[in-house]
Amino acid sequence: MFKLLIFISIIINLYANEPISPIPLDSGIDIEKAKLGKILFFDTILSKDNSTACVSCHDVFQGGADSNIVSKGFNGMSGNIQSPTVLNARYNFKQFWNGRVDTLSEQVDGPIHNPVEHNLDSKLLEERLNNSKLYKELFLNIYKKFNIEYKDIVDAIVEFEKGLITPNSKFDKYLRGEIKLTKDEKNGYKLFKQYGCITCHNGINIGSNSFQKMGTFIEYESKNSYPDKEAITNKKIHHNVFKVPTLRNINLTAPYFHDGAAKTLKEAISIMAKHNLGVELSDDEIADLTLFLITLEGDKPKILESN
Amino acid sequence: MRLNRSILIVLLIGIISSIAIIYFYLLQREFTKNHREFLISTNKLKHSQSRLNYLILENSVYAYLNQDEIKDKIQELLDEYKNLKKSTLLKDKTYKNIDKQVISLKEKIDSNLENIEDYLMFNAGIKNSLLFLTRHVENSEHLKVNDAKIFIHANYILKHFYDTKRIQDLIYLENDRFLLESNSKDKQVQEFIKKFNIHSTFLANHFKQYINSANYVLNNDVYDSIVSITTDFSKIALKDFKALDIFAFILFSIFILSLSFIIFLLYSYIQKNQALKHSLTYDQLTDLYNRKALEHKLAKISKPTILLINIDGFKNINDIYGNQIGDSLLIKIARLIEKDLPNINIFRLGGDEFGTIFEDITEDEVLKIANNLEKTISKHNFIFDNLKLNISVSIVTNNIFPILENADLTLKLLKQNPNKRVMKYTDDLNLKKSVQENMKTVEIIKSAIADDRVIPYFQPIVNLQTSKIEKYEALVRIRLEDGTILSPFKFLEISKKSSYYHEITKIMINKTIQTAKEFPQYRFSLNISMLDILNEQLVTMLFDCFEKNKDTVSRVDIELLESEFLEDTKKVQEFIDKLHSYGSKILIDDFGSGYSNFSYFSNLEIDIVKIDGSIVSEIVNNKTKLHILKTIYQFTEGMNKTNIAEYVESREIALILKEVGIKYAQGYYFSQPLPKPLNDSKVII
Repeated sequence: MFKLLIFISIIINLYANEPISPIPLDSGIDIEKAKLGKILFFDTILSKDNSTACVSCHDVFQGGADSNIVSKGFNGMSGNIQSPTVLNARYNFKQFWNGRVDTLSEQVDGPIHNPVEHNLDSKLLEERLNNSKLYKELFLNIYKKFNIEYKDIVDAIVEFEKGLITPNSKFDKYLRGEIKLTKDEKNGYKLFKQYGCITCHNGINIGSNSFQKMGTFIEYESKNSYPDKEAITNKKIHHNVFKVPTLRNINLTAPYFHDGAAKTLKEAISIMAKHNLGVELSDDEIADLTLFLITLEGDKPKILESN
Repeated sequence: MRLNRSILIVLLIGIISSIAIIYFYLLQREFTKNHREFLISTNKLKHSQSRLNYLILENSVYAYLNQDEIKDKIQELLDEYKNLKKSTLLKDKTYKNIDKQVISLKEKIDSNLENIEDYLMFNAGIKNSLLFLTRHVENSEHLKVNDAKIFIHANYILKHFYDTKRIQDLIYLENDRFLLESNSKDKQVQEFIKKFNIHSTFLANHFKQYINSANYVLNNDVYDSIVSITTDFSKIALKDFKALDIFAFILFSIFILSLSFIIFLLYSYIQKNQALKHSLTYDQLTDLYNRKALEHKLAKISKPTILLINIDGFKNINDIYGNQIGDSLLIKIARLIEKDLPNINIFRLGGDEFGTIFEDITEDEVLKIANNLEKTISKHNFIFDNLKLNISVSIVTNNIFPILENADLTLKLLKQNPNKRVMKYTDDLNLKKSVQENMKTVEIIKSAIADDRVIPYFQPIVNLQTSKIEKYEALVRIRLEDGTILSPFKFLEISKKSSYYHEITKIMINKTIQTAKEFPQYRFSLNISMLDILNEQLVTMLFDCFEKNKDTVSRVDIELLESEFLEDTKKVQEFIDKLHSYGSKILIDDFGSGYSNFSYFSNLEIDIVKIDGSIVSEIVNNKTKLHILKTIYQFTEGMNKTNIAEYVESREIALILKEVGIKYAQGYYFSQPLPKPLNDSKVII
């Protein structure tokens, strides 16, 4: 018993010292609301021309992001930035690439109203759902209201998004002491720390808890201009500053960066090392880092399994 | 009415102050709650902010760290701020200044958070480059051999960077010797220098930004602002609490006041109630218990004996000396009775009547008490200034139900007996029965009048010298429905106390006149009491009848029945004069008994004297009576008055009367009263 206690305390201490923490196994969401949110998430009724659903750009079955560099939305128009993943988005300290909103519900507003995405105003959306017998019944059951309101629509979608967590990644299991990493993976993690990736990519989402400049060390040049933090603050020091993206399920969310410039993970690692760390990595190092990053792929969100 | 209004006002004040107290309670509860919540909120803010400051410091020390806690703390800070801003107190005018500070606090928090974002951003680059350089130097063991100078310089620069970071002072970067230079052809050395310089250049270029942002964050005044808000808030809140205290004091005072007033009202109400209760059971004049109380006590006792004390002739005392003396006499008597009968409740039952009740007492004991009391009172000198009064009382006792009624009746009976002052009720007094009989008699009189059954009977009066009937005395009778004749002593006294007496007299006058008309050979006489003469109504009626039958009434005489003391002889004489004018004669009845008085003859013009039966009936055996008879005879003869002897019940009496010289006689020896006079006037003596 005493040994067990010591063992547990050691485990806890190890956790405490690790800059990365595992995703909880239970999302603790309201299943009914989340299910309704799921229906909404997959429904193109949420766009003006019935062309686009949330899932159109956030393929929750494949990393929660878009494999296109920029997504296609209303009337086939293109967005201006690479779609960030919706998986584990609840752990983001801010939403959107430039972190212009704090919460998921504020985030939901964005794409729905965005003229090049869903291009739908709240009133029209309410009207559409109120005309749907299916939604009327679903909302009545859950929100106990005869009239569907926009804020409840958002609430349902947010609840679904909160369910979009990917626990049980190989690395999480490693953190929990359930398994061991391979030598190369472990080396990759060591490099991840040694080169200072960890400085920004830490926490539960391995990123997404701070801003950083794309090209801290060597200025990063893009062909186009993207809505960065400067677009919000008008400060020059915020040029090319974005929310540090999560690295969970990173092997599934290609292409990479806000401009989708890196097509492969290796390419992305190499660019980040050069521009943000001022180092040139060897092929072996890149390979090990890649192996480490692959261990961050978690289970498919449970909410996607049920109907 | 005034009391009602007062109660209404107090009730109103009470309700208002109660509402005010409830309002105050809710107000102060709300205020206290808001106040507490505000302070809790600012405290949490302080805590979050200081924790955030700590985390930032920690972040600058460690090479790498889980920054999620910073994220969480920021969220906590923002949430708590929202909570604080929601406080209803901030909407109050009094806290306008605090509200301003709270609004500016948000700006400070936001600006600080932006600074933190920037700091973390810059910090990452600096940390990574420092980490890189450290490892870079660490991994270049070969330099110690190939180019120790470069190695030492590299270490020197590195130390400088660390110092700058540790001390957070740009002064350590003022010399620009942070770039390595070497002419060495060694490829490894040049490679080392190239990599080193890239990072040291980065550091040199970015350190200023980094340290500035660190200073912004570490010198942020968010915490101080929160402290200042808390201090200022507490100052204002203290004033508010003082105001609440004063308000509470005022309310409490009003409450106490209205409570005291209610107590006062309640007290005066009880007082009034008691006075009322007292007046219900006490006699106001003598402060003895009243009749009500006596009845109440009677009802409670199983074997009561009552003792009633009545003041004789109290009415006269009131009439003569006035009510004031009368009242104070009552009080004195009350005190005297109380003194004589200590430790027992004394009651005043009516004007001049006192009483008390004994329980379980023998009749002898009660009578003894009554006798003693009677003596005490009659011997007592009641002194009023220079007036001394002696009074007598009548006292009755009774222990037979109905207690009070029997006692009252006994008292009435006792009053008629001037020789007795104390009497006990016994069933054989039969007082109650006579009352019932009285009632019955009144009924009989009433129906007799209605059915014309009030009739005169006539008793012949015989002239002893001529042995002829010359006169008839009309005597009132009532014929009952069954034909029985009722003699006057059964109803006349009672009729006198009723309204029927007048009617009976009228009937007698009319019917006698009528009979006189039928029998013109006789004279007739009617009985009128002297008191009747004082009754003007009756006298008027009598003369009305006389006036209508002027011819007949010269044969109708009036027998004046003696009664109590006759005060107004003048009025009687007027009456006699008037009768004389009709030719009527005046008889004085029952002369020689009771109140009969020779003085009549000096004041009144009496024509005939009727000698009382108590003398006449005994002249045979009683020489004194005979002597009295003779004396009366001589007196009347001397005064030239005619005389009549009544109650002649035997021939013997008749003969003596004849012998003495008495002119007329009547009695059973000759005839008892008859329904009608006889046609034949001859009698045999």
